[in-house]
Amino acid sequence: MTHPWLMAAVMFALGLALVGSVSAGGGQPSAALQSFPLYNAGERVDGLPLVAVLRREDTADFASFVYGDCVAGDNAGCAPPAEIQIWPACGRNLGLYDGVQPAGAPAEQIMVRGVPALLFDDGTRLEFETGRSTAVAFADTRARTLRIAAALRAVDGTVSPGRPLPQPTRGEGRGGAVDC
Amino acid sequence: MLRFALVVLVASAGALAGTPALAHFDAADRYTHKACPASATNRIDPINVVFTTWGTWARAGSQVESHTGWTAASGSVQSFTDHGGCGAIHTQRASGHGSRFHVRLRGQHADAALGWTAMAAAHHEDLVLFSVPCGHAVDANGPGGSGFDQARDELVRQLTSAGHSSYRVWWGNTQSFKQCDGDYAASDGWAAFIQLHQVSHP
Repeated sequence: MTHPWLMAAVMFALGLALVGSVSAGGGQPSAALQSFPLYNAGERVDGLPLVAVLRREDTADFASFVYGDCVAGDNAGCAPPAEIQIWPACGRNLGLYDGVQPAGAPAEQIMVRGVPALLFDDGTRLEFETGRSTAVAFADTRARTLRIAAALRAVDGTVSPGRPLPQPTRGEGRGGAVDC
Repeated sequence: MLRFALVVLVASAGALAGTPALAHFDAADRYTHKACPASATNRIDPINVVFTTWGTWARAGSQVESHTGWTAASGSVQSFTDHGGCGAIHTQRASGHGSRFHVRLRGQHADAALGWTAMAAAHHEDLVLFSVPCGHAVDANGPGGSGFDQARDELVRQLTSAGHSSYRVWWGNTQSFKQCDGDYAASDGWAAFIQLHQVSHP
């Protein structure tokens, strides 16, 4: 998934999926991709280039946009400087944390572009629901995490960076039924 | 002097009762690190298993080894955090030396509800020799999830079939990690809590 041509192909396919014209598997449109709009930070964010676009559809269901590189070694992976994961809100949402004992510092509740959000891990993980999607931003610093949130845009062009995000449609924004 | 006596009394009472000292399970940091001090930039693996009840690191190592047959102990050292501190793993187990299951363990603070606890970062990794010889790389994806998910589920499967109980908790630690073969691997965000018993295995 990391070759430039493959990344471009995946970006193209993900973009097409948003308008319902991509096929997956046995020629059927990818219902999962059609069900949650994708967001990323464009070709570059905070000085970091987009280096990989990933898609998981197994025990987890998300698309991922990786920004910046790192050097992995034998027996030791590495954390890219920034990553944006987009999940279907019916599968991952802020309500998942309601019944979980924090067992550490509680998440910080903030507002991001008009929607409720939670900051975890000293601000290096930000999660919020927007429309039918849940965006999860990982970065190496709190400041970078927030800059990524400010730069998010809808891949289909319906939401520009810095503009208000669509309100969560899963329910009341926090909690509620989870039904994919 | 009175304060010293009280401290001795409390410590003695805890030791005599055989129960963990009063503290709490700390899962504020849900990743391992390349070294101490821990930071977001030196994260390596997601933590995806917690051994509870009698989950001292030695019992965890013994019972993992006994129930899975993972007897190899080779692998690099990584670090875990706990209550603001940072320390190297206490032990590790693997199913071999090539492509294998591998788990790193570190004992943590005891908890009034969970008992003795050890945190673990488990994964399945391939020994990558072609086209770029780089060593062990965690599997990116598969029908059973990433290599992180596969190893967590294998531990749950093996230990529950031996009578240990387990349950899952949503942790959301799904950050992707680049591997030496160029692929990316991430946890699906669920941590397995596996109960251990007091008796260690031979």
